[in-house]
Amino acid sequence: MKKMTLSTLALVMGAGFSASALAQSIAITNATVHTAGELGVLKSASIVLNDGKIVAINPATVEADTVIDAQGQVVTPGLISSMNQLGLVEVGAVARSRDAGDDKAGIDFDPSSAFNPLSTLVPYARKGGITQDIVTPYGGDSIFAGLASVVDLTGEFDSVTATKKALVVKLGAESKGSRAMSFKTLVEKLEGQQTKLDKQKAEKKKDEKKDDKPSVEEQVLTDVLAGKLPMVAYSNRASDLIHLLKIKADFNLNLVLWGANDAVLVADKIAAAKVPVIMSAMENLPGDFDSMHAHLENAGKLEKAGVKVLLTVGGDASHNMYQMRFDAGNAVSNGMSYDGAIKSMTANVAEVFGINGGKVAVGQKADVVLWSGDPLELSSSVVKMFINGKEVSTESRHDKLRDRYMKKSDMPVAYTK
Amino acid sequence: MQKLVPSVIALALGVALAGCQDQGPKREKVEINKNPYPSTYKAYSSSSTLIKNATVLTGTGERLDNTDVLLVDGKVKELGQNLTAAADVTIDAAGKWVTPGIIDVHSHLGAYPSPQVESHQDGNEMTSPNTAEVWVEHSVWPQDPGFNRAREGGITTLQILPGSANLFGGRGVTLKNIPSPTMQGMKFPDAPYGLKMACGENPKRVYGGKSVLPSTRMGNMAGYRAAWAEATEYKRAWEEYEAAYAKGLNPEAPKRDIKLDTLRGVLDGEVLIHNHCYKAEEMAMMIDLSKEFGYHAGTFHHGIEAYKIADQLAENGSCAALWPDWWGFKMEAYDMVQENVAIVDAPKNSCSVVHSDSDTTIQRLNQEAGKVMFRANENGFALKEEDAIKWITYNAAKSLGVSDKVGSLAPGKNADVVIWNQSPFSVYAKAETVFIDGAKVYDRFDEKYQAVSDFMLGQK
Repeated sequence: MKKMTLSTLALVMGAGFSASALAQSIAITNATVHTAGELGVLKSASIVLNDGKIVAINPATVEADTVIDAQGQVVTPGLISSMNQLGLVEVGAVARSRDAGDDKAGIDFDPSSAFNPLSTLVPYARKGGITQDIVTPYGGDSIFAGLASVVDLTGEFDSVTATKKALVVKLGAESKGSRAMSFKTLVEKLEGQQTKLDKQKAEKKKDEKKDDKPSVEEQVLTDVLAGKLPMVAYSNRASDLIHLLKIKADFNLNLVLWGANDAVLVADKIAAAKVPVIMSAMENLPGDFDSMHAHLENAGKLEKAGVKVLLTVGGDASHNMYQMRFDAGNAVSNGMSYDGAIKSMTANVAEVFGINGGKVAVGQKADVVLWSGDPLELSSSVVKMFINGKEVSTESRHDKLRDRYMKKSDMPVAYTK
Repeated sequence: MQKLVPSVIALALGVALAGCQDQGPKREKVEINKNPYPSTYKAYSSSSTLIKNATVLTGTGERLDNTDVLLVDGKVKELGQNLTAAADVTIDAAGKWVTPGIIDVHSHLGAYPSPQVESHQDGNEMTSPNTAEVWVEHSVWPQDPGFNRAREGGITTLQILPGSANLFGGRGVTLKNIPSPTMQGMKFPDAPYGLKMACGENPKRVYGGKSVLPSTRMGNMAGYRAAWAEATEYKRAWEEYEAAYAKGLNPEAPKRDIKLDTLRGVLDGEVLIHNHCYKAEEMAMMIDLSKEFGYHAGTFHHGIEAYKIADQLAENGSCAALWPDWWGFKMEAYDMVQENVAIVDAPKNSCSVVHSDSDTTIQRLNQEAGKVMFRANENGFALKEEDAIKWITYNAAKSLGVSDKVGSLAPGKNADVVIWNQSPFSVYAKAETVFIDGAKVYDRFDEKYQAVSDFMLGQK
C-alpha cells in the first residue's frame, strides 16, 4: 500500500502545478492496452484520461498533468461485475446488514436506495479491478426479484449511477410447486400489460387528454415489452431456456439468460436469437437435474457458438467478486478466447445493460486498470486503477488487519492502527 | 445435558460392580472392534512408470529441476537426474511439473453430493448437539460425480467430515479418491479416524433455536466439557475393567456406548480432532479445553482468525486448515486476511493447510494455494512454489495422520503423483496425469482414464 500512498502524493503535487486542480489529466504510456473494443489490443500504447473520460488513445504527443509509465504492463477497462448484492449486504448471516431481499419484493422492487457505498465489500472488490457493478436484488416470494441498478465502486455517496437497468426474474427448478406456474405468472404479467397498452392506445386515439400515470410496475413492464429494459431470467435447464426464447419471440423482449448451466445444449438457438448469457465459468457439477451439462468448457463453447457471454462469480458473489478475473482465466484455460474472456467482464456487460464503460475508447468513461501482469493470472494484481479518471485505492479493512498483526510493535496489537 | 446424568450414574455403578464381581463362571472378555467397517481398498494394477525431466516439488519444501521420478509397485522408488532404470512406461515430462497427489482435509463429497437433492442431505445429523456416535462414512455415496471432478484437479486423498451444526458432529473418514462402488473400497487403509467438533455460531444457532443447550458460546464450552468429563469416566471404567480382567478377576464389562467410544478414542490418541473454529479466542479456549481433559486439540478448520494466534497454534502443534479468501458470510468470518495461510505458516513447527470445504474449489486447491502465495509475496513474504505446495500435500497429510504414507515424494512413499502442464500455481495449470499408488487413475488426454459416475452415465 505504500506505493499507492506515494503515487497519491505525486498526483496531489501534480495538481498543484496544473492549471486546474479539478480537471486533472492523467496519461498512461507504454502500456499493452486491451481495449475490449474495435481497436483490439494495442502494444506500447498511450491513453489520456481527463474530466472523467478517456480523451485520447495514442496521441501524437502525450500531454497530461500526470504521466504514468506502464513499462509494458497491461491496461484493461475497469471490470464490471453483475448479479450480486454489493452494498446491500455486509455480513451474509446478519439480517440487519441485508437489504437485497424482501418477502414482498416484486417487479417494482428497487433496492438502490439501500446501497451503502461505505461497505467493506466495495474496496475489497476493487482488488479484482472491478470499477462498476450491476447490483441485483435477491427478491422474495415472487418470481420477480426486482430491478437491477448500476454503481461505481468509488465508495462515494454518489455511487449509484443508474437505476432500473434490468428486470430480474427467477425461474427453473422449484422446491415447492411447478416451474410451469412460474412461466404462467411471467406470461400473464406480460400479456396483461400488453393488453392494457393496446387498450390505452385504442382509447388514446379517441381521447388524447386521457393520460393516467402508470405505476412503477406498469412502467417496468411497458419498458420490458418495448425491449427498452432487459429482462434477466435465471434458469438452467435447456427446455426452460428454449421456452424463454419462445416467450422472447412472442413479446419481442430484450432477454438475457442467467445461470444457463445447460445452455450448451441449445447454444445455436440462443445465438440465433441474439440472447446474451450471464454465467459462472466455474460451474461443473450437476447441482440438480437442471444442470446435467455444467462444464468448465461451457463459456468457451457458448462463445464459439456465437453467444455473447457475460461472466459472473457463482456462490456468494457479493463477497467474492474480486476473483472474477481468475474465473475468466479458468475459462480461457478451458477453451474461451482471451479477448472474449476480457470482453465477458467489460464490454459485453456494458452493452447488455446499456451503460457507459467497459471499453478503452475515446469518449468512454475513464474506468481503467493498470495490472502488474496478465490480469487473469493469480500472480498479478492491480497496480493502479481509475474510476471516472480519478485514482482509487485497493486498500481494504483486510489489509489493515494484516498489517496490524504482522507489524512488530512494543505495544499490544490493539494500539497498531 | 440432562441426558448425560443418568448414564454417568450408570457408569459409576458399573465401575463399582466391576471390582467386586470376581466370582462365578469366568466371563469371556469383552473386546471392542475398533475397525468394524474395514477398508477393502486395493490399488489398481500399475505398471512401473518413469517420469522424465520434470520440475518436481517434493511436498517437503524442495524443488528439484530436470528430475526424474520412478514409480514401482505402487511406491516412489527413486528421484534423481538421468535415472536409467527400465520401466514399463516412460513419460517425457520436460516443461511439466510433478507434485505429490493433492490432499484436501475438509470435504463433504459423498455426504453432501451432487445433485444436492433432499434425498442426499446426509452430511450432518442435526438432531442433538453431541452426535459423536455418527460416522460420516456411513453417509458417503461413492457415485458423487464430485469425486471424479476432484481427481481431475489432482486430488488423491481427502477427508470427508460431517457438518458443523453440532458440538461433536461425528467421525470423519479419510478416503483414497479412487472410483469404487463402496465406501470401503475408497477407505484409506490404516488412516486414523477424525472427530469433527465445531465452535462458534453454528451449534449455538442450530440448538439455541430449538431451546436446547447451547444457545451461547459459553453453552458451547459447557457442552464440550460435560462430554469430555463423561468420556473420561467411560475411559476409566473400561481401563479398570481391562486391568481387573488382566489380574485374573472376573469383572463385568461397562456398558458399551458408541458415542463415548469415539470420544474415548480421542483421549487414547487414536482419533484426531478436526475442529471447525473461526475465531482466535475460541481456538485458544479449545487448546485449553484439550489440556483440561488430556487430548490433543488437533487441526483447526476454517480458522479465519488463525493469523492472530499463529505462534500459539505452532506451539501447540496444531494444524490450521484455511481458505485463501472466503469471508463475510457470517460474523465469525468477518476478519479474513488473504495472507492468513502464510502468516500461520511462518512460525517454526507450524502446520498451515489450504482446504476447500467445497465441491468446486477442491478441484483447484493448487490455485487456492497460489492465491495465498502471490498475495503474501506482495506483502512482505518471499514464498516459493516449493513452500506453497506443502499446504496442500505434506501438511495436509500431517493433519490427517497419514504423512508416513502420502503427501510427499520420497523413496518408499505411496506413489500418489500429479503431472501438471506447468507450475500448479497458475490459473492456466491443469493436472494432466494423476497416479494413486502408482496406478494411472486420470489422464486428461485419454478417455480410457476418465472415470464417469453411474449417475452421469446415459444422461442426455
